[in-house]
Amino acid sequence: MKINNIQTQQVYRKNKGFLETIHIDGWLLLGILLLLATSVAIVYSASGGDEAVMTRQIIRIGFALTLMLLFAQIPPNILYIFTPWLFLLGIIMLISVLLFGQIGKGAQRWLDIGPVRFQPSELMKLILPMTVAWLFAHSQYPPSVSRLILGTVLIAFTGSLIVVQPDLGTSLLIGLSGLSVLFFAGLPWKVIFTAIAGVVLSAPIAWHFMHAYQKQRVLTFLTPESDPLGSGYHIIQSKIAIGSGGIDGKGYMGSTQAHLEFLPESTTDFIFSVLAEEFGLLGVIGLLMLYSFVIARGLYIASQAQDNFTRLIAAGFMMTLFVYIFVNIGMVSGLLPVVGLPLPLMSYGGSSLVTLMISFGILMSIHTHKKLLTK
Amino acid sequence: MPEYLDFNSDSDKFNQNKRFRLRLYIAFLFTLILFAILIARMTQLQWLEHERYKGLAEGNRISIETLPPTRGKIFDRNHILLADNQPVYALKLIREKMENIDSANLAIQVILNNVEPKRVHDFFEKFKKRNRSKSYTLPFTLSEEQAAQFSVISHKHPGVTLSARLKRTYPYGATAVHALGYVGRINQKELKNLDPKEYRGTDIIGKSGIEKYYESTLHGLPGIQQIETNVRGRVLRKLETLPATPGEDIHLTLDIKLQQFAESLMGEMRGSIIAINPQNGEVLAFVSTPVFDPNLFVDGIDHKSYNALLNDPNRPFINRAINGRYPPGSTTKPFMALGAIENNFISPNKKIYDPGFLVYKDHRYRDWKRRGHGLVDMNKAIVESCDTYFYELSLDMGIDNIHAALSPFGFGEYTGIDIHGESKGILPSQKWKKEVKGKSWFRGETIISSIGQGYNLTTPLQLARATAILANRGKIIRPHLVRSHKTETLDQIEIKKISNWEKVITSMENVMHSKKGTARKHAMHLPFKMAGKTGTAQVFSLNAGDYDAETLDKKLHDHSLFIGFAPVNNPKIAISVIAENSGSGSKTAAPIGVKVIEQFLKIYYSDTYYPEQDSVNQREN
Repeated sequence: MKINNIQTQQVYRKNKGFLETIHIDGWLLLGILLLLATSVAIVYSASGGDEAVMTRQIIRIGFALTLMLLFAQIPPNILYIFTPWLFLLGIIMLISVLLFGQIGKGAQRWLDIGPVRFQPSELMKLILPMTVAWLFAHSQYPPSVSRLILGTVLIAFTGSLIVVQPDLGTSLLIGLSGLSVLFFAGLPWKVIFTAIAGVVLSAPIAWHFMHAYQKQRVLTFLTPESDPLGSGYHIIQSKIAIGSGGIDGKGYMGSTQAHLEFLPESTTDFIFSVLAEEFGLLGVIGLLMLYSFVIARGLYIASQAQDNFTRLIAAGFMMTLFVYIFVNIGMVSGLLPVVGLPLPLMSYGGSSLVTLMISFGILMSIHTHKKLLTK
Repeated sequence: MPEYLDFNSDSDKFNQNKRFRLRLYIAFLFTLILFAILIARMTQLQWLEHERYKGLAEGNRISIETLPPTRGKIFDRNHILLADNQPVYALKLIREKMENIDSANLAIQVILNNVEPKRVHDFFEKFKKRNRSKSYTLPFTLSEEQAAQFSVISHKHPGVTLSARLKRTYPYGATAVHALGYVGRINQKELKNLDPKEYRGTDIIGKSGIEKYYESTLHGLPGIQQIETNVRGRVLRKLETLPATPGEDIHLTLDIKLQQFAESLMGEMRGSIIAINPQNGEVLAFVSTPVFDPNLFVDGIDHKSYNALLNDPNRPFINRAINGRYPPGSTTKPFMALGAIENNFISPNKKIYDPGFLVYKDHRYRDWKRRGHGLVDMNKAIVESCDTYFYELSLDMGIDNIHAALSPFGFGEYTGIDIHGESKGILPSQKWKKEVKGKSWFRGETIISSIGQGYNLTTPLQLARATAILANRGKIIRPHLVRSHKTETLDQIEIKKISNWEKVITSMENVMHSKKGTARKHAMHLPFKMAGKTGTAQVFSLNAGDYDAETLDKKLHDHSLFIGFAPVNNPKIAISVIAENSGSGSKTAAPIGVKVIEQFLKIYYSDTYYPEQDSVNQREN
């Protein structure tokens, strides 16, 4: 038995390529790089050929890739040890944002620590799924009711700290990222269906507690034409951009909607509309296939992971990624209400890119550190 | 394979994995289904409804334009305009529409004959790399003549359009620049903290002074306009409009004529003059010299002029009135005296013998008068500014009692004036030294503190405010520059015996009007009674960074100080004057202070004090 083991390890080492030595998953990296290259091209076009904007985006991508590489080096068992502490830290940061956060653009989301200014809610996108995974690391199928309740409480608590910032959109999405881990941990189907029914029934109550601007967004979503000067204008213009792209698009740099400045936030939240206008339905399908490929590879990594903690993290991260993609595209195409949310790996901007790439780094670490973990 | 064996040996774990993988499949299926919904939606928009949206895009002629708000104007207390918005011409460029960018560059360089060609060229170099479809404004304004010149050749340069906009102008130029402040282009750091909706279409923001402090009042809110354009982007007509909310106008408490007069008295000297209405804290004159022209900053100042100002050894950017920290010198004595007699450390009539120095621990603390003042009571100590009297007093009081007596007058604290960048100054105490310097207090330091030297530092505004509070017989006021600025009702300093206050004030009156007073020769002609105190502050230490052989001598000269108020029994104006390195207080600062007070009373109370003069001439508006 012992001899066998040594032999397998030796065989394994011999086949190990360069990428695996530096704990990088080639397939995942390929998908990510293709998406990032698309991002640079579209950001350049959406900004009307602004070289300064493109340069900044490339620098950010370089930085984020470096972070991914660094996080890929951290073995998952180290992450396991730190997860509860990270959660504690995250909660403390969320509370300090409420107490002495910077008020930027109407809501209190930023925290200033010396030269660094960041949104703790952004980090929570990673920490919450990890914490829920940590909670179920040694749990059996089906998990105990008390553990499920504890998990739900953690998610609700974190979500409520972000709701009061106020940032309803982010809080819902972070809540979903936690819930997806609960799902993979074996949340009973009965509970899932009851919860969905509950959400639908409680919508009128939630309406009552919404901020005026949030109500406005929902109303605008339902009837965009009612507010053609405000946010309804965004949706109308975005739909025109997408629809006018047709099947094969207007060609690269050919987006008239973005260039004539009909389209708002064309490099950030509405970047998908520029892509759809320039590359048409075929471009959209290509992009969604790329995304599906990355998600599929991530879920495959989850299926190959050898303990509960890592596979729950991997699956949870992929579901978070999916939700962000779906909500952004759903928003710009008028299927969902307007929530200020970037398109993962596509939009111009740094903070969401950084957290995403860290999550990919962790995924790669899970996949490439696995053999060391078995013993 | 050991993995496989593991699963077989542990059917429970195998079962676990199976159930997890099942959920993975379900999740992936869910993903694909929702992606399929997105694709269905895209098919609907891009295929089925493509014709409709294509039509809409081509006819997309309704665009939204932001209407930036007009910035509020700033007036002085008599409704004289201090900050205005003047229409100016500027060029807007859109690269996408330009045919020959280099020829446009050259043509503009020729027309803008007052701007270095290189600066235009530099703008174009940057412009070439930016968003091709956005409109950028050339950061130089055109005179009407230049605008006319451009209109003649404009047909040769598509993509370059002449536009009129409002530019902030300060008709009084450098006058009161440290109070008024100025606006400038919004920088990256400011941009981060702004609501982009509120600042859409605006590229300037208050950078200092009133312009900065009251930014939110002055700015207003942008409006929105729907514009119908043709395919080439030309405006056909304007549809629905939500007008901009202009910024509110602001009236200052300053009197710009008095301000100009006060600034002229400073001449080439560095320093500050603050005049306050002691009854309500309105700042009537707010002088910090040297000054600079705020108009330079509105469209962005060029590097050369900026560096010249920045490296000027006289430091024009420093707002000396609120940020200059000076030893108060002998102007601190009336407050010291009041604190001592109110708290029974000495009786006002008690006489102390002054041989011209005080010996404490083998150290001789000299009086400014070598031979000494002889027998000195409180009145004489203030009138002749006797140092030894206060040396003795300070040893009886101790630094903490001095601190307690002076701090109600606002020394060592922010005055709370409505502009940013105020300095707190220093009113030392044992606790302060322990906290800041980490050392214990020496009694010798108490002695020099008593004549406003040593650690004591005060801003001109603090000094004027303290004088106003003294003139008020203890009613605390908060200085402010904007008339509508709401000040909460403030306390009254506890008065133990009002006659003590009157005695100190009478002594200050004697400084001006008695035979021995240090400022007697400047106040002889006045038709009203005023109170005052001169001060001459030694410049103890030199800032190592400022060392400059040529100016060293001058920088070692004493600061000249004066505080005063008038009329004694019904104070209308309180004042502080500080002239850096300009010798004794009685020589330089006192005559300036007297003139400003006289000028103010001439303007506003000529009926009472100057009945023979024609009051209409004096009063503006």
